[in-house]
Amino acid sequence: MSSLGVPRPGYLHGLNPLTKIAVVIPAMAAVIVSREPVIPLALLALALVTVFTGTRLPARTVVLLLVALPVGVAIGAIGFGLWTDPARVDRAMVLLQVGDYRLYVGSLVAGLTASLRLAALLMLALVSGLTTSGPDFVRSVVQHLRVPYRIGYTALAAFRFIPRFRHDLDLIRQAHRVRGTGGRRGPLAAIGRLAGAIVPLLAGAIRHAERVALAMDARAFGAHPTRTERHSVPLRRRDAVFAVVFLTASGAIVVAIVVSR
Amino acid sequence: MTAETTQPGSAVLDIDSLRIRHHDRDAWTPDGVSFSVAPGEVVLVLGPSGSGKSTLALALDGLVPHVVAADVEGAVRVGGIDTADRTVAELSERVSIVFQDPDAQIVTASVLDEVCFAPENRLLPVEAVLARAEDSLRRVGLWERRHDDPGVLSGGGKQRLAIAAALASGSDVLVLDEPTANLDSAGVEDVYDALREVVADGSRSVVLVEHDLDATVSLVDRVVVLDGTGSLAVDGPVRDVLAGRAADLERLGVWLPTATTAALRLARAGVSFDRLPLTGGELALALDAVPELPRPVQRAQASTPVESEAAVVVRGLSVSRGRGRRARSILAEVDLTIHSGEFTAIVGTNGAGKTTLVQAIAGVVRPPRGAVRVAGLDPATATAGVLAGRVGFVFQNPEHQFVTQSVRDELAYGPLSTGMDPALIDERVDGLLERFGLTEAAHVNPFLLSGGQKRRLSVGTALIGGADVLVLDEPTFGQDRARADELVGLLSDLHRSGTTVIVVTHDMQLVADAATSIAVVAEGRLLAHSPAETVLGDDELLERAGLRLPPLAQAMRRVRRHPEWRSVSRLSQLPGAAS
Repeated sequence: MSSLGVPRPGYLHGLNPLTKIAVVIPAMAAVIVSREPVIPLALLALALVTVFTGTRLPARTVVLLLVALPVGVAIGAIGFGLWTDPARVDRAMVLLQVGDYRLYVGSLVAGLTASLRLAALLMLALVSGLTTSGPDFVRSVVQHLRVPYRIGYTALAAFRFIPRFRHDLDLIRQAHRVRGTGGRRGPLAAIGRLAGAIVPLLAGAIRHAERVALAMDARAFGAHPTRTERHSVPLRRRDAVFAVVFLTASGAIVVAIVVSR
Repeated sequence: MTAETTQPGSAVLDIDSLRIRHHDRDAWTPDGVSFSVAPGEVVLVLGPSGSGKSTLALALDGLVPHVVAADVEGAVRVGGIDTADRTVAELSERVSIVFQDPDAQIVTASVLDEVCFAPENRLLPVEAVLARAEDSLRRVGLWERRHDDPGVLSGGGKQRLAIAAALASGSDVLVLDEPTANLDSAGVEDVYDALREVVADGSRSVVLVEHDLDATVSLVDRVVVLDGTGSLAVDGPVRDVLAGRAADLERLGVWLPTATTAALRLARAGVSFDRLPLTGGELALALDAVPELPRPVQRAQASTPVESEAAVVVRGLSVSRGRGRRARSILAEVDLTIHSGEFTAIVGTNGAGKTTLVQAIAGVVRPPRGAVRVAGLDPATATAGVLAGRVGFVFQNPEHQFVTQSVRDELAYGPLSTGMDPALIDERVDGLLERFGLTEAAHVNPFLLSGGQKRRLSVGTALIGGADVLVLDEPTFGQDRARADELVGLLSDLHRSGTTVIVVTHDMQLVADAATSIAVVAEGRLLAHSPAETVLGDDELLERAGLRLPPLAQAMRRVRRHPEWRSVSRLSQLPGAAS
């Protein structure tokens, strides 16, 4: 079937979506329980290496990862650092003092940790997120986790509603503004406007959903307990190899950091 | 009246005394309808709105009553099998259906997945699925685009995909329910070119519900007509029905091909035809065969005040969307002046910038300062309330505009928010309820009105602030002919009583019949803004804008013998009008 598929630009694209999700879970758990910046940093690096070697990214994404990610981590570190309760950090060194307010180096370290943990979780999620299509994910969930295909494919169809609803909501807001609903200001008026938009949005959504359901029924959706899958999304030897390598690498990193302390 | 053209045994589809009543209705529509469809036959189902055509279409593949609950009497037999005895899934192998809204029938993320959907659900082996998919996509000319997301196809492209997806289910009967009602004229042609390809080898029967007869008449074999109560009125070969019974059909409120309607009117004015024409070409030939024709009627309402003041002035309007590298220009340097009392149609292909232009004029999306003046106001700076007193805007979907729980409140909403005197508001509301035939429905929730009532209410809410400029964005989109005609009548009345009407539309016959001036937009630029006759007479301009002449004008262009008729483009220019 590969002649019909899109050319595959990297080994991550050839893996089962479930493998990619499963192998990052231990690493995510380690990031979540970690209380210092080294483990998140190391696992962030591992995730970056995996993504860069496993898929050919468009230039824009590369720039985003290499520039925006460090900048985001730095901003996050300062933001979380200012926010951290000083009573709970190492107050040995004062970085800066303004009147009564003291910013400790310990606060900044705590902020950096929180920021790195978020970045590491995001990057680990992107290992599968950047390289998996929605239909393939649904196929493998149906094939390997025995989720009924009626649920999986209905979810996929429903996913296509989103751009339409966004468009409808824009139109409804424009229409209501023309009617002069924008006169009042403040949060209560905003809530009122949103509530006013919900009725027409739902009326349209229900009608749309009914039509889609009719169209799916007319094409024998749900006729049998299973359906033909043109692409099977199998678990292959390469999935096992990738799982062993990634799990060993992430395990070794965590163990080495914990032991060296 | 039922002309039994085929033996019952050989029919692929056999409808026998079918009556259907939806659970929330009292009337049976269709009511006692019988006809059959032979292999390879293309049958067109006609009827006024409310006659039950769409319900009939849903019954042909068992969606009524298996999915849409309804009382059903009589029977539908597909290849000898009663639909009542089989599931919709089993029936889908014999009858497949294409619906009106392209976006509501596409469920997957690629063109190829979409056509594979039905055979996959039927558990066909992978090779068979792919063979069917390729065959269907090649038939509609989409095989090269199989890896694309269906969302990037044009409206016509999406409907071709829906046809391919229906073909891929392997059925011998294809039902199409108003497949082009949501498309512009290029999309309509696109769909019928594909359908012509599908029926060319005679292997499939087609049941078509459609009101655009100009596009379909050349590929239809037989016509079945329902009357207003849902009973069978006529059943026979296309020419016998549309030409032979044209006067009866017109009386029933059924839309005829434009050429037939035109000939019917000329016949009333004393022109004799050997047989009524069905296509533009036939009409031209028939007129050339007549030695003497009456003169075309001069426009009654050519009374547009030439030196009236300007209602809308647009100067150097440019609009772009997005930023940086993704910025694209929607409108570039548009200059447009619309005088008070004009009925201006804004035409152009999809994406030309028509909607953006009228949204800027009415201040729906704020234009740059100083670029637009409407009734003396700059929509860039005027508040919504003040602006609503000068210019009313009607959106494509009337429901989007409703903000209250009753028709009366809906009309009173705008004036109340500007602090108008309540007694005066009551007076105006009563006046508009009366004028738009909504007095009976004054306390009904706007969402529960009929389609035509919703449209009238949305026009009413746009006018209640006292606006004398009315702007409408594709008001006939997705509507059947009767409702579209009702709206055109309403707009023409408003125009006669002095309202300046500006309408964005792709319905070229509407443009020809109602507009006094036409603004042509292409790729963000205003190509022309001239009196309607001038624009409709300029083939080169229309072609440059990607537009087609309205059907009547197309036919008249081919007349050789009567030069004064060659420029006729609107039905009201024909003597012998029904009214």
